[in-house]
Amino acid sequence: MGNDNGYDIRTILSQMREEYWQALAEEESEAKETLECLVFTLGGKRYAFETHYACEVIRVPKLVRVPAVQSLIRGIFNLRGEITAAIDIRPMLGLPQPEIGATGRILVVRGDNFATGILAEAAHGVQGLCFESFEPAATGLPGTRAQFVRGHFNLEDGSVVLLDMEALLADPELVAGEA
Amino acid sequence: MANRYLEIFCREAEEHLASLQSGLLVLEKNPARTDLLHELLRNAHTLKGSARMVGLADISAITHTMEEQLKGMECGERKVDAQAIDLLLRGADAVALITSALLRGEAPELDVERFVAEYDRGELGQHLTPEPREAQPDTPQETVRADVKTLDQLVNLVGELIINKKRLEAKLDRLKEVAYALPAEHAAPLTAFRGELEEDVLYLDYLIQELHGKAMGLRMLPLRTISDGLERLVRDLAQQLGREVQFQIVGQAIEMDRVLLEGLKPILIHLLTNALSHGIEAPEARAAAGKPHRGTILLSARHQGNSVLVEVRDDGRGMDPAGIKAAAVSRGVLDQREADGLSDEEALYLTFRPGFSTAEIVTDVSGRGVGMDVVKKNIERVKGSVTLASQTGSFTQVTLQLPLTLSVLDALIVACGGETFAIPTTYLQEIVKVRASEIDTMGSGEVIKVRGATTPLYSLSGMLGLTERREAGDLPLSAVVLKHCDQRIACIVEAHLGYSEVVVKGLGRQFRNVRFLFGATILGDGNPALILNVPDLFESGRGVQRAPVSAEEAQAAQRRLKVLVVDDSITTRTMEQSILVSQGYAVVTAVSGEDALEKSAEEQFDLVISDVEMPGINGFELTRALRASERYRETPVIIVSSLSRDEDKRQALQAGAQAYIVKGAFDQGMLLETVQMLIG
Repeated sequence: MGNDNGYDIRTILSQMREEYWQALAEEESEAKETLECLVFTLGGKRYAFETHYACEVIRVPKLVRVPAVQSLIRGIFNLRGEITAAIDIRPMLGLPQPEIGATGRILVVRGDNFATGILAEAAHGVQGLCFESFEPAATGLPGTRAQFVRGHFNLEDGSVVLLDMEALLADPELVAGEA
Repeated sequence: MANRYLEIFCREAEEHLASLQSGLLVLEKNPARTDLLHELLRNAHTLKGSARMVGLADISAITHTMEEQLKGMECGERKVDAQAIDLLLRGADAVALITSALLRGEAPELDVERFVAEYDRGELGQHLTPEPREAQPDTPQETVRADVKTLDQLVNLVGELIINKKRLEAKLDRLKEVAYALPAEHAAPLTAFRGELEEDVLYLDYLIQELHGKAMGLRMLPLRTISDGLERLVRDLAQQLGREVQFQIVGQAIEMDRVLLEGLKPILIHLLTNALSHGIEAPEARAAAGKPHRGTILLSARHQGNSVLVEVRDDGRGMDPAGIKAAAVSRGVLDQREADGLSDEEALYLTFRPGFSTAEIVTDVSGRGVGMDVVKKNIERVKGSVTLASQTGSFTQVTLQLPLTLSVLDALIVACGGETFAIPTTYLQEIVKVRASEIDTMGSGEVIKVRGATTPLYSLSGMLGLTERREAGDLPLSAVVLKHCDQRIACIVEAHLGYSEVVVKGLGRQFRNVRFLFGATILGDGNPALILNVPDLFESGRGVQRAPVSAEEAQAAQRRLKVLVVDDSITTRTMEQSILVSQGYAVVTAVSGEDALEKSAEEQFDLVISDVEMPGINGFELTRALRASERYRETPVIIVSSLSRDEDKRQALQAGAQAYIVKGAFDQGMLLETVQMLIG
């Protein structure tokens, strides 16, 4: 239609395309830098998951044991009026279970169906983990069940395993009696 | 379905109407603000579109006119003055009137047709039913609509208040101890201060109780809300069965928690169905027995203490203890020797045993027929208990005792296995001290005498699979005697810590299949305590001396329930599947009887729903094959068929099906109710 008034549709389109890709690349490179993660210790190793799964981190309160449920449900506690389970996911990851001591914390996380508390030996706060150091799980880590692991970050001071919270929280083993 | 969409529409309309109203009022004050018109137009337009979607032509016509008027204003063809705005407001009011009437399920107080016509012509319609708030300024609205969710939240918040008050009380006790430890001259002012604080807490307690009562009251609904449908049910059923029945309801105004009422309805449907099909005799038989032609079924409700008693009584043939015993023996529920030892009253309760009713007659009349054991399960779910009374030839009476609410319970707090548990007092008979020398062994289990009655004795921590701490020696042990229906058991606990009113909190979805627990509460010290589900203890106790909780059993009770749907028609299959899936069941479909047998061998299903006429083996043969197998001997089977002859129903029964639904009468509610009754 408007070829005669100087517009070249091809040029405009290719310009638009370029802008589009550029914007996309920018977005990606930004996101690529770091991943905001909650870092904590399980079985003596450092683990992490994205912060958006975490609701809060608390000291381990008194846990009330629940009869006739699988052993990974270690008990329930009162989270400001909500009855919440404390779970020990270390067996699911094939990890040893050293005593949860004074540094022990409960990481309250929210999945699609319920909020639950993950027992950890220690919590190290939120850290931005560099994507460049990330290695996907294909290689597999010795002693870890690969299904809940997305990969690990090779940091200067050692590695941090990134958990697949989506898969972990959807696992029926977390639901009382469904293991 | 349509209803749901209507409700969604009405909610949406409320929002748009509110913003129309406020926008128009602003515009009325500042006619220059034509910038508002765009948003108003959008409101009217969306309303029009949504009204069309749900087929509300009147609303769509009114909003169409409003849209036209607004468009006229926007392009300057129409003056923005008080009269024009009034016209628009009238339109919005009319829509509000119609939608609120729809929500209540009533006809709107407005001659809609006439209004639409006049509104379209731009007439103000002065004659139309005046606005209630304008017409009756001195009678303000006495009720407001509230979302049920908001009410539930309100009740929860009051629960939190109660818990907080308990913490205050616990702190008062601590303060007393602190004062004791101080020298007298320091203690005196502290004791005085504590006294004042105690008074404040007492007053707070009073206020909270009042508040709790009011909040609960908001959630209460009269029995009438569910009993209206029952009259129709009884009438239709009586006609189908050729019975003459007078159905009376007493105590329709008795109020119960909404949640409880919902649980009560299927139970009542079941009991009334039973009364008609097993109780009331045919008119000739009644005449021959010297009874009035017309049978009477009485449904009554009344308060008793902190609970509601609901009775279903019929003056039919009654229950025959000897017949029940014989049937129970022949079905392997118990052996002849045990049967002989039962009193007539005890015999009635045999009908609640699972094995008894699997073979009970299938009454298809209301589209379902399930055993009394399922009724019992349903009653347990709402924390009720059931008692039976009957005299052969003259009456049967089923009495349900139900709590007023499930959100607050009276409970005995006990220590057991190092934890604290709450036992609802509805199940508590008494607390006894037992010496080791008083414990006898009977069979492979232990028993004690409670008021002369031999009562099985268990260790509560053992039943719950917690570490046991039972000391040797002849120190008296604390035991709680629990009752459920006609049974009693005694459970040893470490100590009882007194009675308390506990606020029930759900355990959440992570524990939705948990056994032994009904919920949790939060004690004065802020720690949770688990509330025991007593019927589960009885079930666990029944299997003599087996491991307290076998792993497989706990697992079986806690899985997501799986249903196998067998039908050669894809429509029926898909329909049943989507109905069940929507209610959270896991569904596998099979296209034929052979396919079903194959699939049922691969995994364990909790329920099978089957068609009758299929290529290959039919539904009856499938049912028989399932019954013959070890794994499916007890699994409920529902037959859904277009065959409606009595002969077919009899065949279904003989094959071992629990329920028979005729396809012609098939609706989603009926299927779901039947499934829920059978497997929950």
